[in-house]
Amino acid sequence: MELILLSKSSERINEMKRLKNEPLLLIAIILIVAFTIYFVISPVFQLVTIASPSDYSILVETPRWVRALGNSLLMMVLSTVSCTAVAFAFAYTMTRLDVPLKKFFRFITMLPIVSPPFIVALSYILLFGVQGIITKQLLGLQVDIYGRLGLWIVQTITFFPYAFSVIYGVMGKVSTNLEYAAYNMGASRWRVFKDVLWPLCRPGVAGGALMAAIQVLTDFANPMMIGGDLALLPTEAYMQVVGWYDMKTAAILATLLLVPSLAIFFIQRFWVGRRSYVTVTGKEISLKPYEPHKLVKWGMFAFCCFISLFVVTVYGTLLYGSFTKAIGYDWSLTFSNYSYVWGKWQQIWNSIKFSTISALFAALLGMILAYIVQKKSVGINGFLDFLAVLPSAIPGMFLGLSYVIAFNSPPLKLTNTSAIMVLALLFWNLPTCYSASNAGIQQIGNSVEDAALNLGANSFRSFKDVILPLLKIPFLSGFVLSFLRSVTCLSVIIFIYSPSTATGTTSILGLVSYGQWGAAAACTVVLIAIAFTVLYVAEYFLNKRGASLNI
Amino acid sequence: MKKSVKLICLLLSMIMLAGVLVACGNNTAGGTKSTKLVVYAALNEDEMNAFVSKFKEDTGIEIEYVLGGAGDMSTRVQAEKDSPNADVLVGGSVDVYEPLAKDGLFEKYDSPNNDALDARFNDPNGFWQGWYMGVLGLVINRDRFEAELKPLGLEYPKTWDDLLDERYKNVFVTSNPVTAGGGYIFTACQLFRLGDDAAWDYFAALDKNVHHYYKGAGDCISPVATGEFIVGMSWVHDIYKQVKAGYPIDVVIPEQTAYEIGGVAIVKGGKNKENAEIFVDWLLTQEIGQMNTTNSNRYSVLESVASPEGLPKLEEVNLVDYDRARAGEMKPDVVAKFDADIVSKR
Repeated sequence: MELILLSKSSERINEMKRLKNEPLLLIAIILIVAFTIYFVISPVFQLVTIASPSDYSILVETPRWVRALGNSLLMMVLSTVSCTAVAFAFAYTMTRLDVPLKKFFRFITMLPIVSPPFIVALSYILLFGVQGIITKQLLGLQVDIYGRLGLWIVQTITFFPYAFSVIYGVMGKVSTNLEYAAYNMGASRWRVFKDVLWPLCRPGVAGGALMAAIQVLTDFANPMMIGGDLALLPTEAYMQVVGWYDMKTAAILATLLLVPSLAIFFIQRFWVGRRSYVTVTGKEISLKPYEPHKLVKWGMFAFCCFISLFVVTVYGTLLYGSFTKAIGYDWSLTFSNYSYVWGKWQQIWNSIKFSTISALFAALLGMILAYIVQKKSVGINGFLDFLAVLPSAIPGMFLGLSYVIAFNSPPLKLTNTSAIMVLALLFWNLPTCYSASNAGIQQIGNSVEDAALNLGANSFRSFKDVILPLLKIPFLSGFVLSFLRSVTCLSVIIFIYSPSTATGTTSILGLVSYGQWGAAAACTVVLIAIAFTVLYVAEYFLNKRGASLNI
Repeated sequence: MKKSVKLICLLLSMIMLAGVLVACGNNTAGGTKSTKLVVYAALNEDEMNAFVSKFKEDTGIEIEYVLGGAGDMSTRVQAEKDSPNADVLVGGSVDVYEPLAKDGLFEKYDSPNNDALDARFNDPNGFWQGWYMGVLGLVINRDRFEAELKPLGLEYPKTWDDLLDERYKNVFVTSNPVTAGGGYIFTACQLFRLGDDAAWDYFAALDKNVHHYYKGAGDCISPVATGEFIVGMSWVHDIYKQVKAGYPIDVVIPEQTAYEIGGVAIVKGGKNKENAEIFVDWLLTQEIGQMNTTNSNRYSVLESVASPEGLPKLEEVNLVDYDRARAGEMKPDVVAKFDADIVSKR
């Protein structure tokens, strides 16, 4: 055993030594590590160390926070399982089944990603609350969505698209040839699914689940509105800041959140393991997916329709409400909410600007990192992988807060600049982009590059002509996904925006906190519209080149 | 493989370069000292806009502001203490200002306009200045009350004790003192009003009627406005805003209610200290007090300013003898006990 460990570590040292021969790669790695440490680890460390170790004893002394930790973990498990299941159903339906409405389903899986926090929860309450339009007035039910069950449903709908985007990307790439081979050898449909498709999808499912789990774990808006008496860690931490102005306790609670986040990370790595999932070989022939049993097919379709109907109703209410005089009470039509938003074009322009720049760099950085981690043996692959995913374990609000503390004084004073907004969003989005690129690169066999090399291409050409085109889709997925996240992100920037860098979402927060729900709904609708416009423009240009976006 | 690595480096340096460009291109610092004021405001956007244009008109000084909750804003001031960006923090309870004053984040200032004010509105240490008052009250959904509770023989509650009636079961919402500042003031109010033992009995009895405790005090209003619940506890000025928005709700101010004092303070190390002082003086004039009361439905600390239209006069509001110092001292114990005895048993 010791011997194995010893040989492993010496192997790593050898890999590192070999880097001397590739100074450019070495520089790239050093830069990436330095950047990530400076812009992620160091600020967070500064925030966490605001509280001295003895302050952490309040965790044990306050039963509420022990409960909050328990609740958070339970919700994380429940919602992640349901998110992943729904996401898998959608991905399977859209990649493997010949059913109508696929474009519509794709739209549905993007809507929740592009909605700013808080406002959608109002829609849920209006529809499914104690006096809900659907629950009480339509179905005559006496239900109570405030609490675990309601939160579970809302979180499932809100966060399954994050899991979906990863699973869909991977499943779309899994070749149908292997499935046909299995069928030809007499395997049943179930066995093909279990032994062929499922194992090939596992990195995607694991990546998707990880993504959803962290979103659920760090969600603070939904528990605020629908959680009822349920105490959850992010909400407690947020309320420590906004309700009690207690940064120290908030920092302690945030630290408590890091523990399960890191745990998810290790579990995911363990589960996916080190199997090879290579399916993109040099000789791809796409056959039409082999259809499952009719009952399964239309069952899946019906399930997707049901979820879609749910999402449409929730967002439809929001859209309609934005045109009404008093959302939830006086449903007569007016444009006054939109004329209010009209005065905020500067903030909305800021949203677009920061999101574009940060998403571009996040996608680039994520792609490079994924390439190095997957295709280069540099001795610290695991560490680089860890660095790339780490920001996702940090609640956005605390990343922002840590930026205020870390970059408010020289050597690098960034507060009040656009740069701090861009950097915070960039590193917050890095894991999204990294995961998207990773899932793509994991499936590219080394043989593709080797083949190019054997045919006389140099390594630059093989990277440019073989690897890059294969990365185009993961890159764009990462870009678009992080653009959408940024446009609708509030948590990261809530503490770092300044008068000149206020965005659409910060306007929504202001409107919501003073009960101007109508204007907030209108602002939300405008942001969602912008997000979709950008998305469809990107897609249009891609389609012209014969590619498509997998989000 | 070297060339592929070269490409990576190229991309990386592009990222760095762009980062630097972004950082340089957007440096918003600077501007002339004499005509600018940076304000962190825990106020409504409309209220703030009114201040901005009126202040410019009166003094020629341009206000730049960031809006947010009192917690967000004070957190910012705390976080930026080594190099403050704000000149003034305005709005939100002075309870928020107290810890910042203790940490030495404010500049002492004694406005010539505060001499006539009641002593409780002036910080004895001179760091903050009270300029408005908010009182706690109840928001009641008129439609549902008349349809569901009136037939049961209930009238609008007049006192906090009226809320213990079991007919309010599950239609009353309030906020959790563990998380909400307003929720804690409500709790302290009962402790001052009833004394320790009776107050804890009160909380236990009230708990039976509470549908759930919201995380923030303001969160109770919208659900009542849209008819999700019938009665909620929150700040009167926030409730009244929803009344004006056209929802079928009424405001009730129960006897022996508690209040907050809204503050303003000058941030130490701000770049426009003189303008900040002008702002504080200006805020305490009758004209501005009146303007703010009209816009925000809050009571002014100035006796010369009329009470908000549609709300009872301040003299008619029956206030509890609220000891702010003691409320602050007993907070950790009360909050822990409330969580252990009430919330965790739900």
